[in-house]
Amino acid sequence: MVVRTITGDAAVAYAAMLARAEVVPGFPITPQTVIIEQITEFINDGIMDADFIPAESEHSVMSVAVGASAGGVRTFTATSSQGLALMYEMLFAAAPSRLPVVMAVANRSLGAASGIWTEHNDSQPVRESGWLQVYVEDNQEALDMTIQAFRIAEDHRVMLPIMVCLDGFILSHVVEGVDIPEQSLVDSFLPKFVPVNVLDPKDPFMINPVTPPEFATEMRYQQDRAVEGSKLVIAEVDEQYAAVTGRRYGGLFEEYRMEDAEIALVGAGTWTGIAREAVDQLRAEGKKAGLIKLRFMRPFPGEELKRATAGLKGLGVFDRSAAFNGYGPVFTETRNALYGSSVPITDHVAGIGGRDITVDVVREMYDIVERNASGEKVRECTWHGLRGEQR
Amino acid sequence: MYEIRFHGRGGQGAVMAAQSLADAAVRSGFHAQAFPYFGAERRGAPVQAYARIDTKKVRTKSQVYNPDLLVIMDESLSELADIAAGLKPDGRVVMNTTKRPEEVDLGKGVDAVCGTVDASALALEVLKMPVVNTSMLGALARVWDVVPLESIVEAIEDRFGEKLGTRAGILNGEAARTAYDSTIIGRTLGRKEYGKLAEWAPAWNEIPIGNSLRSETRDGVAVGPASSSQNLTGRWKWSTPRYDREKCIRCLRCWWSCPDSAVIRLDDDYMRWDMDHCKGCGICADICPVNAIEMVQGAHTW
Repeated sequence: MVVRTITGDAAVAYAAMLARAEVVPGFPITPQTVIIEQITEFINDGIMDADFIPAESEHSVMSVAVGASAGGVRTFTATSSQGLALMYEMLFAAAPSRLPVVMAVANRSLGAASGIWTEHNDSQPVRESGWLQVYVEDNQEALDMTIQAFRIAEDHRVMLPIMVCLDGFILSHVVEGVDIPEQSLVDSFLPKFVPVNVLDPKDPFMINPVTPPEFATEMRYQQDRAVEGSKLVIAEVDEQYAAVTGRRYGGLFEEYRMEDAEIALVGAGTWTGIAREAVDQLRAEGKKAGLIKLRFMRPFPGEELKRATAGLKGLGVFDRSAAFNGYGPVFTETRNALYGSSVPITDHVAGIGGRDITVDVVREMYDIVERNASGEKVRECTWHGLRGEQR
Repeated sequence: MYEIRFHGRGGQGAVMAAQSLADAAVRSGFHAQAFPYFGAERRGAPVQAYARIDTKKVRTKSQVYNPDLLVIMDESLSELADIAAGLKPDGRVVMNTTKRPEEVDLGKGVDAVCGTVDASALALEVLKMPVVNTSMLGALARVWDVVPLESIVEAIEDRFGEKLGTRAGILNGEAARTAYDSTIIGRTLGRKEYGKLAEWAPAWNEIPIGNSLRSETRDGVAVGPASSSQNLTGRWKWSTPRYDREKCIRCLRCWWSCPDSAVIRLDDDYMRWDMDHCKGCGICADICPVNAIEMVQGAHTW
């Protein structure tokens, strides 16, 4: 074990190296670029044995990833924002083909009002693509989850691609001390990739041929069950990783000071680190506040969240992206999961386009949750830090 | 938890300094993080970088608003803006300057423990180039003893060594040691008052539809989100064009060549410069066929 002070992007690159990824197609886009750059340095230095394939666009990157994975090799790539958008079509090829590609997404706001800063409106909209999605809080988790992602994706009960989402800049360009596990330890945790299908000219067959209506429903349902079934594998892998590294993340979500909590927030990304500080402050003031760090958007832990929040007097949801004329995606999913529960629930949009989120902003969220819990009429969806009156 | 804010200019290595400090802290058994201000950067532009150091895991990911320690790598920055804003009441300052601490003025009310060091001269002497980040880290260790000099030198030797070669790593470590020895400790005396910068902070219903930059401009600078109206890129310059109207033949070459629309054409086809946005690139002086424009060292506002 060695602790190195590195960026979140470098941590992900180390993970891809330690996982012995064999093919890495790539195309540069801020704030992901450092991941691919670091990997090419590893390859150049002779310490990583992988083929780096510079493609002409992200659409091609994902096409290469699909081809490589179908060829039976461990495949890794990374992207952000418009890059992910350009991959859109091929994301929907990877998942139904059941190819366990691992992709880091350094979250960055997508589209006009051009920005390079973090927002989850690049990865949240593709949560229906069939990919699993995990969001991480710090650089250590970025490394650990990238390694775990291979194990989860390649499990024969799963066989699905997975996105490891890390907040752009707030993780991608921040250095923190990261414990880099020994190669032997990673090797013992992560066995060699055993593909289900390997395209082989000597033994020809097809993956994903034209699928007529007679088969499509069953094929889709199989995909649906694989996403649901991945919950079990995620929990197992979390345990097995803890057994070798001592680091446990809680699987689908982590509960922080939830034992006797009356009010709580749920949300994903680096926001959770700031929310922990807010919870500690509120607890010190005698308020029974808790936090649920949502890790996986897919599979979405619906039933599990309903159970974990059952005793609350109020719940708030943090969203780092907005759905227009509606609610943020995490809120939409959470309230749907809590249907039938009596816990009052509010949505809290913040950090849009990379706007800084402070402990005070998170406390403002808890304040609304508390007032909602006491029966006061509050806005169902609040945009925090917005200039001008909300209506 | 300690929070440190670095102020420098692009090219001085503020980000590397913050990262090396975090690295040194981790080597000394602390938890730490470091990050740049997330924005556009360019050589000469004012930049900021931050570090947090704690005995337990650093969980917060917010920017730094109330630093315990301020590291000022370029003295001229304190002329431009209130860079000591938010400094904690018992906060400390390290500054690259030829002045003594009591001569340092970071604004009314800022009377802080301060270390001064002529890092620019020192870097030239030891490294043969004016990159002051490692010298500033040495001075920092003298002013603020939480992270020991030895760890800082070790982090510098490793990080710079890996990036620039072993010899560069050792030289940079030496720059830190030399700066440590030559830092003068005292107290700043804040006297001057900073003017308040005009800020455009529109409400959501005041943002132009389509997030457009409005067509009405001020001195050729559009007004709107992400415009240059508040981003005074003229602060980046190291040299300033001086215009000799007598020599000017009104050929307009400077006017259409300026990449920043900072050369403003007057009604009579003579020119005037928008010094808030002239970056001092010198293209106008190069292109002028009659040498009516001369680049003068330093940032001037004539």
